[in-house]
Amino acid sequence: MSRSDTTLGVFGYVCTPDEALAAAKRIRDSEYTRFDVLTPFPVHGMDEAMGLKRSWVPWMTAGLAATGILAAQVMMVGIMVLLWPMNFGGKPFMAWPSFIPITFELMVLFAGIGTAVIAIFAGKRWTVPQPPVLNVRTGATVDRFVLWISSEDPAFDREKTAEFLRELRVRDVRPIDEEDRDVE
Amino acid sequence: MKSETMKSPYETFAGDSDLHGVPIAVEGVGPFGGSELISEPLVTGNKTYADVDRDIAFHVENFPTRRWWICFFIAGSMLGLLLFSLATLFYVGEGVVGINHPVGWGTFIVNFVFWIGIGHAGTLISAVLFLFRQKWRTAINRSAEAMTLFAVACAGIFPIIHLGRPWFAYWLMPIPNGRGPLWINFNSALAWDIFAISTYGTISAVFWYVGLLPDLATIRDRATHPWRRKLYHWLSLGWTGSNRAWKHYEAAYLILAALATPLVFSVHTIVSFDFATSIMPGWHTTIFPPYFVIGAIFSGFAMVLTLMVFMRQVFNLKNYITINHMEAMAKIIMLTGMLVGLAYSTEFFVAWYSGSEYEGFVFRNRAFGPYGWSYFIMFTCNAIIPQFFWIKKIRRNPYTLLVIAILVNVGMWFERYVIIVTSLHRDFLPSSWGMYHMTFFDWSILIGSFGLFFTLFLLFVRFLPSIAMSEVKGVMDPEVARCRPEDDASEEA
Repeated sequence: MSRSDTTLGVFGYVCTPDEALAAAKRIRDSEYTRFDVLTPFPVHGMDEAMGLKRSWVPWMTAGLAATGILAAQVMMVGIMVLLWPMNFGGKPFMAWPSFIPITFELMVLFAGIGTAVIAIFAGKRWTVPQPPVLNVRTGATVDRFVLWISSEDPAFDREKTAEFLRELRVRDVRPIDEEDRDVE
Repeated sequence: MKSETMKSPYETFAGDSDLHGVPIAVEGVGPFGGSELISEPLVTGNKTYADVDRDIAFHVENFPTRRWWICFFIAGSMLGLLLFSLATLFYVGEGVVGINHPVGWGTFIVNFVFWIGIGHAGTLISAVLFLFRQKWRTAINRSAEAMTLFAVACAGIFPIIHLGRPWFAYWLMPIPNGRGPLWINFNSALAWDIFAISTYGTISAVFWYVGLLPDLATIRDRATHPWRRKLYHWLSLGWTGSNRAWKHYEAAYLILAALATPLVFSVHTIVSFDFATSIMPGWHTTIFPPYFVIGAIFSGFAMVLTLMVFMRQVFNLKNYITINHMEAMAKIIMLTGMLVGLAYSTEFFVAWYSGSEYEGFVFRNRAFGPYGWSYFIMFTCNAIIPQFFWIKKIRRNPYTLLVIAILVNVGMWFERYVIIVTSLHRDFLPSSWGMYHMTFFDWSILIGSFGLFFTLFLLFVRFLPSIAMSEVKGVMDPEVARCRPEDDASEEA
């Protein structure tokens, strides 16, 4: 094997969301599966164009919200009924209506923090290897819609993949090598 | 040179003078060949995506101007006043402020409710307007969310100093302890408040930080110094702009907005429960939750408007925060102002209609008693002054906007003053009536809390992008804003 051992992937860019959508559809319909589109802002319809399923994060939120509700109920019932029962004017120890506000707040707290953490992890791990953005300026956070095919893809070939991207009218196609990691 | 032929109707909009606040008609693009009405652009001046980064990141990447330092010095001095006042308060005791019998809830609770209310507009802009797909929010949501965080920080001081012995503030939390163990009473609205405010502060911070990630990555990619690059890479949690990340990010953002929306309503509802669950005439009313929430949105928008008038001017962001954005906020202030006025009137009606002589007395005393002047300020500033926004010229003039927004803030501070002081100063027994006299320290803590707020805000605009760049790019017309590598090449040639 030649240099492609150390190649991380191939990338190029287009200038409008529509061009990016068209190119993403072509890659989706090709043999490549380990590819990504890097965009400055979320592009409407890109998930379908890339053939991605809906995010599973909302299911996590539902579970976290249920955990928050349970935690709040266990805490308040435990404290008010078991640990420190106090008689306020003959009212019941388990005065559930007055537990509602804190139950709601803890549901939001658990679900909100958990969703943010899980979504960030989901976008970082368990996904296609990303270009080394710390050392290679892709322009994807500025004004370029970058198409990236990772070398992890079984069909990846340094020259052929670059040629494939050029056929999609992607500009400035070039490979990124392992050495580029250290470039400042 | 941009391309010769006009590609988008938005190319003719250079600035505020080209905006009229009404849709524009584009000839020949309608379904049957006629004209079609489209809304005016949210970003003017033919900005490209790269221009957005340049204009907004400029203030993060350059040493601050003299004007910033002057503002920072004034705000920092006010913050110093706060620290001095708090130190005196802790050292001498609560006696230095005017709180006394019969007004035991004075300046601290007034300021607490005031600041929490200010914070609410930030969440409203970032979450509620997001759910309603109001695209104009993109220009102001970042700074409005920052405002929320800083307002909550200011608000958080007050319940703690109100405790009298602030070093025991942790007793409010249900933590296992060696005092019995002694637990808090979850039937108390004050215990709900602890959870509401701390959840609100936390979720606002999370929402704000999640929104910042793509922009921190933009700052990283613009940075030239390797350390700066690494710092912002670390802060952006390695954001690359991958659509596989955007997918989860957008889902999470939508969920956070959906969680923050009921949260913001719940927080001020629970703040109002602090009053409404008591049996004081003037507080014990079912109208309090919606009345407080609307008042919070009203005052918060006035504060956002005040900050934006300065920000767009000083930071030269008039192409992003256009006069149309200001008008949209003015319209919300007018609407909520009318709702607040309706709440004032309803309270009076119910006081009369209920037939309760105590309730009736409190309201007569509120409007015509010794504190009638504060009721007058409140009613004029909140219910009458915003009515000027019916006039379009006033809605679209930064100076009138600023004057009215500041008056609204004054009025909303006095609303809390009226609710608390006038209800307490004359209760059931005439022998225990009294007046509330604010001392130097009441005022210095109020002024100092503004110092804390503005200091934090000035640091925010210095170190973080004050407009959500990635969101603004999403509402721009790609035909105007796209990158044009051919043009760049021909320019260089």
